Amino acid sequence: MDFLAEGVRRAWGLLIAGDSEVFGIALLTLKVAVVATVIACTVGLPLGYFLATRRFWGRRAALTVVNTALAFPTVVVGLLLYGMLSRRGPLGGLGWLYTWQAIVVGDVLLALPIAAALSAAAVQGVDPRVRRTAETLGAGPWRTACEARFALAAVITAAFGQVVAEVGAAMIVGGNIRGSTRTLTTAVALYTSQGDFGTALALGLVLVILALVINIALQVLQGRGNG
Amino acid sequence: MVELRAVRHRYAGRVVLDFDQFALPQAAAVAVVGHNGSGKSTLLRLLALLERPTEGSVLWNGTVVPRRPAASLRRRVTLVEQRPVLLRGTVRDNLVYGLEIRGFGRSAVNGIIGDVVDRLGLGPLLGRRRHELSEGEIQRVAVARALALRTDVLLLDEPASSADTAAAGALYRALAAERAARPFAVCIVSHQLEDAYRWADDIRALADGRLSPVTPENLFRVELPAGDGVKTVRIGSIEIVVMTERTGPAVVAIPPTDIFVSRERLASSARNVFKGRVVGLAIERHGAGVHVRAEMGGVELVAAVTAEAARDLALAPGGSVVFSFKATAVRVF
Repeated sequence: MDFLAEGVRRAWGLLIAGDSEVFGIALLTLKVAVVATVIACTVGLPLGYFLATRRFWGRRAALTVVNTALAFPTVVVGLLLYGMLSRRGPLGGLGWLYTWQAIVVGDVLLALPIAAALSAAAVQGVDPRVRRTAETLGAGPWRTACEARFALAAVITAAFGQVVAEVGAAMIVGGNIRGSTRTLTTAVALYTSQGDFGTALALGLVLVILALVINIALQVLQGRGNG
Repeated sequence: MVELRAVRHRYAGRVVLDFDQFALPQAAAVAVVGHNGSGKSTLLRLLALLERPTEGSVLWNGTVVPRRPAASLRRRVTLVEQRPVLLRGTVRDNLVYGLEIRGFGRSAVNGIIGDVVDRLGLGPLLGRRRHELSEGEIQRVAVARALALRTDVLLLDEPASSADTAAAGALYRALAAERAARPFAVCIVSHQLEDAYRWADDIRALADGRLSPVTPENLFRVELPAGDGVKTVRIGSIEIVVMTERTGPAVVAIPPTDIFVSRERLASSARNVFKGRVVGLAIERHGAGVHVRAEMGGVELVAAVTAEAARDLALAPGGSVVFSFKATAVRVF
């Protein structure tokens, strides 16, 4: 048990001292997570709205594909993306392997199904009379979709949560390079394997704080929307 | 203003509306009456441009409305559904919603809302949320929300169904005041024929998705037997003689003006003679006619007579009355 207490002490020490490596990793993680969440939601939310509101041939199959993609293992996504981005792969020319951009692409692939499937469910969950009422009052499709905005805020948080906590794909396509592609999750994995439990715990705490801040923001937003 | 032409509308393959034309002229007050499931609400949704007819077209000022109508066109019409819902926020937020979409400034919004709030007595409700309101209050707020938009066409689906008599009266008075201040077309679906006669310029009846060729009273679903010419159909406990070549399910209509009213049975050519009891008398909007409602063996029939004739016959609720009409007067559609 001593090593746990020692780990916590060391974690606080690093955080209070403002350890540059810890904060550098946290900042990169935040950057990757924000960029990936924005891209995934920019594509995923309209896609989810489209799947929820339009009737077209193959819609059920499209929903099944999106829902299945929710359970796609992150290491498999990382592996496939590695194949695409490696020098011999079709996207090798981009030179993105072992860069933060590669991690963003992997995270987008993982968060996109979440954004699309959950937003489709959120829009479908809106009382159709509410949607119709918004339309009768002159609202266009986007304003009408806004009636699901509180559920959509939860979708964005879920996508962010997936991205910020993801480790498999980030490890494979990012390479966990110090100062370049080391994110909070990959760093935690590395320091734990090296026996540096304090640094791993400090990074874990930062990760938890990030998740906490996002969830509190969502709860405040949802609280304002009640009734 | 808005017109449906050659409409045949289906839900899951079932025809729910089927007629050649339904027009709502500019500044007209039209009531649509009919049984449950006759297609009244669907008709309003087509007029509100919320749905497209499966077959046929919607015209706005004579121009065919495209598949995806422009937002500016959609905003010229609004619909209050039978069981309206309020959006998130307070009553005031709901009243503001459509005005904000239309880009009204704060002072214009306050002025418009002030007017409708006064007219419908919503002042004490402005800060309340939907779960703090009764069904009747929600309905009143929904009507106010629609009136605030000042659209060219206002469609109301049973707007007073949850209101008591006083609230319903206030609602119709508010509508009349609004129409006096600013002419606009209004179409109200109602099952209250007497209300409809009181305020509407024109009354249309829907039965099984088809528009009745006559006034809306005395509409009955029947099963026409096989054979040509004179047939007898049962409605409740009475049998009505009709002349038609049709067979199978149909709607029969007896125009109230074709019913001859007397106190005793008279010798005549009428094949349909029923003795019953007066259950109500309603004076028409312009005061010249009286609608006599009478119960004939469990079936309610309505006959139209002049006010003078009603006086001469001393018609009064509870009194006996005889309705007579010819088999050829019964319309089948």
